[in-house]
Amino acid sequence: MKPSPLLKMQHITKRFPGVLALSDVHFDVESGEVHALLGENGAGKSTLMKILSGVYQRDAGEIIFKGRSVDFATPRQAQLAGITTIYQELNQIPYLSVTENIFLGSEIERGAFLDWRTMHRQARELLARLHLDIDPRTPIADLGVGQQQMVEVAKALHHKADLIIMDEPTSALSIREIDDLFAIIRQLKADGVALIYISHHLDEAFEISDRITVLRDGRHIVTVPTDTLDMERLITLMVGRDLSEQFPKEPAPLGAEVLRVEHLTQGKRLKDISFNLHAGEVLGVAGLIGAGRTELVRAIFGADPIDSGRILIDGVPVTIRSPQDAIRHGIALLTEDRKRQGLILGMNVRENTTLSILGGLTQGIFTDRRKESAITQDFIDSMAIKTPDQDQIVSNLSGGTQQKVVLAKWMATQPKILIFDEPTRGIDVGAKVEIYKLMNTLAKQGVAIIMVSSELPEILGMSDRVMVIREGRVTGFLNREDATQEKIITYATAGLDSPGGEPIP
Amino acid sequence: MTETTLLPASPPRRSTNFISRLLRDTGPLIVLLGLFILLWILSPAFRSPTSLSILMMEAAAIGIVAAGQTFVILTGGIDLSVEAMVSFAGVVAAILIAGTNQAGGQIAEGLPSILAILAAVGAGGLIGMVQGFIITGLKINPFIVTLGFRSILLGVALVWTRGAGINIAKDDFLNFVTSFIRIDLGALESIVGISQLRIPMPFVIAVVIYAVVWVVLRHTKFGRYTYALGGNETAARLSGVNVDRTKIMIYAISGLLAAISGVLVMGRLQSGAYQNGTNMTLISVAAVVIGGTALSGGIGGIWGTLVGVLIIRIVEQGLVYLNVPSNAKEIVIGAIIVMAVALDVVRRGEVKWLRFGRRSSPT
Repeated sequence: MKPSPLLKMQHITKRFPGVLALSDVHFDVESGEVHALLGENGAGKSTLMKILSGVYQRDAGEIIFKGRSVDFATPRQAQLAGITTIYQELNQIPYLSVTENIFLGSEIERGAFLDWRTMHRQARELLARLHLDIDPRTPIADLGVGQQQMVEVAKALHHKADLIIMDEPTSALSIREIDDLFAIIRQLKADGVALIYISHHLDEAFEISDRITVLRDGRHIVTVPTDTLDMERLITLMVGRDLSEQFPKEPAPLGAEVLRVEHLTQGKRLKDISFNLHAGEVLGVAGLIGAGRTELVRAIFGADPIDSGRILIDGVPVTIRSPQDAIRHGIALLTEDRKRQGLILGMNVRENTTLSILGGLTQGIFTDRRKESAITQDFIDSMAIKTPDQDQIVSNLSGGTQQKVVLAKWMATQPKILIFDEPTRGIDVGAKVEIYKLMNTLAKQGVAIIMVSSELPEILGMSDRVMVIREGRVTGFLNREDATQEKIITYATAGLDSPGGEPIP
Repeated sequence: MTETTLLPASPPRRSTNFISRLLRDTGPLIVLLGLFILLWILSPAFRSPTSLSILMMEAAAIGIVAAGQTFVILTGGIDLSVEAMVSFAGVVAAILIAGTNQAGGQIAEGLPSILAILAAVGAGGLIGMVQGFIITGLKINPFIVTLGFRSILLGVALVWTRGAGINIAKDDFLNFVTSFIRIDLGALESIVGISQLRIPMPFVIAVVIYAVVWVVLRHTKFGRYTYALGGNETAARLSGVNVDRTKIMIYAISGLLAAISGVLVMGRLQSGAYQNGTNMTLISVAAVVIGGTALSGGIGGIWGTLVGVLIIRIVEQGLVYLNVPSNAKEIVIGAIIVMAVALDVVRRGEVKWLRFGRRSSPT
């Protein structure tokens, strides 16, 4: 007889108006186990975790935690019982120190005063337990995203968590930081802490988890030991059908050179960057977080000023001082953070789609509503944007659908050069493939594409050529056939420069 | 594809909860009608052409200011200079008409009122534009810039008038813009109880302004950009919206409209004085918020503001007719402002214990 698990959720059902979010779902976690909870967006992962952590109340079912039936009305109750959630967007106060953040809400006092010495000491102990070399007096804002996340883990340990829920913990982390996180997860496991791991990165689930549970459409599909699954089988389970290829790359014929960047320099962030781009080409831009990839594409797009260097479009030098200039020259940028930089969340699908071309959609001084609707409908149809109608507010749409709306907005400008910064971040497998297919279509139409991505499989799978950046410099170019994960990581991390690293042929 | 179109977390308060949707869309209008009917029943004095005229006159003055404030708040900003602008524009127009800045009446021959008014309104637009330049060019918070300009404009009005009112005589144009349109109700008198309506010209002007603003917000690129940069300034900028130019224009419009209100108030009082705009900033902000425009920007509209203005005016006037001591008026107005902001928060479902519908509605 096996000992009863740490957590047992049974027959969990949750209804939202118009949607059965969870239907009779089972889920259990053992002590010292990493249990990956996988599924597409809308599969019910987040809802299930929010019920567990007291954010939502279940409509039916039972939760047994440490042998007792529990019912958390608030996240605070769950935390006190030993369940801590580390959210995708960290809930930290940037200008307070590490110690202050760890002890927020549970400060130690001596009389009427804060006992800084004890708090700093305990914080230091927690950080040491995680092998983190951080001064607890450092303001959170001075730490990298990866370290901020480690502080959240330290906070969870401070609250003596038996079960830690990690929701997309690696979405903002670099390769090295992910390795650090995994080391910590393994150590927590060894200490008997259980983890629920939610991620769109399936390779991570394979690397770190002991068991995998797949949800689909609010139903429990399967719970199995990780080593009994392979990637293909897992995707099939998640999507509910065969997804023939993860990266359906179809090379397009290369056309003339459309973009040439020469000696682009911007403070300490971008140093003498030169490269070119042809019509129909997909240039992958790889590098660690903070290497300057986003800075590079923002500079080309005119979002940030440059110190020196030239940009040539179709062989003609151009001056780009603002996004408006860039758009006029046929450049479009899908930003990495679609909610903060890509969409007006409170506006509807139509208003977002036509935002960049509104100037051309006026009759006299009035906007031409009919033309706006027609253009939007074209995109909804051709890109299979899943929205009930054009008047749907985009904050109500799923991540993948939102990304398509952003893409529609840029396709409406009929760009010659389309820059994707993290095109598939936070969207599910099915929607990813659709974005890739749209990329293929665009490349075939002769659009030149720059794709910045932290996901190496994506870079390898979709690029015709890969440019690697480290500390603001180009360290190498790799052709599709030569590119491997190892080579990219070498260029991105070590002091090696590409042997044939002549950027412009 | 199994990807669901609507996230299950789509809040029920947006789509399904009838009560809260009704409250959001028509709540202020219902409150307005309720207050109007209540006052109509309770106060015989309110049921007169004169009192309705006063209501419309006062609503026009604050309403035109609030129309400009609506633009500003839609972008997530605020214009604290409007009350000073009302005073300032009135003072400028009065000095130009009177041809003197001596208090106590017209001594010299000044400009025709139409020219004086154009100059004052133009100055208002220009000063608003300067504020916009400072806010966007130096990236200073609009709160600070417009607070500073409030002081500057009031100070200038004070210096130029030496603290007194500049009195003027009306010419034909000024007579026209402060005249009344009389509408005999005829047979309707037996139903509504009054024989005629006297609609002040400023109210007509205000209604025209509101109609124009509605068209601008709804059917022009500029209007769309206003909402876009209030909703997400970064995304708007990266989508190629000229954010700075839009903002500069918005503060210019706010200054311009406040100046129009200023000359109308001056014309009615036949006096340009630094007190003419007293309290109008807070009341205009309150009217915008009561009308459903979010202080954070991006959501709202101009008709809500009109309803908000009328609510505030009816309450103020109602207190007079119901014999509430005028000293207590401030208390009620203050309470309304706080309630309006509270309403804004509740309407967006940010207060859990006040939320309508399911207890566990997702956020």
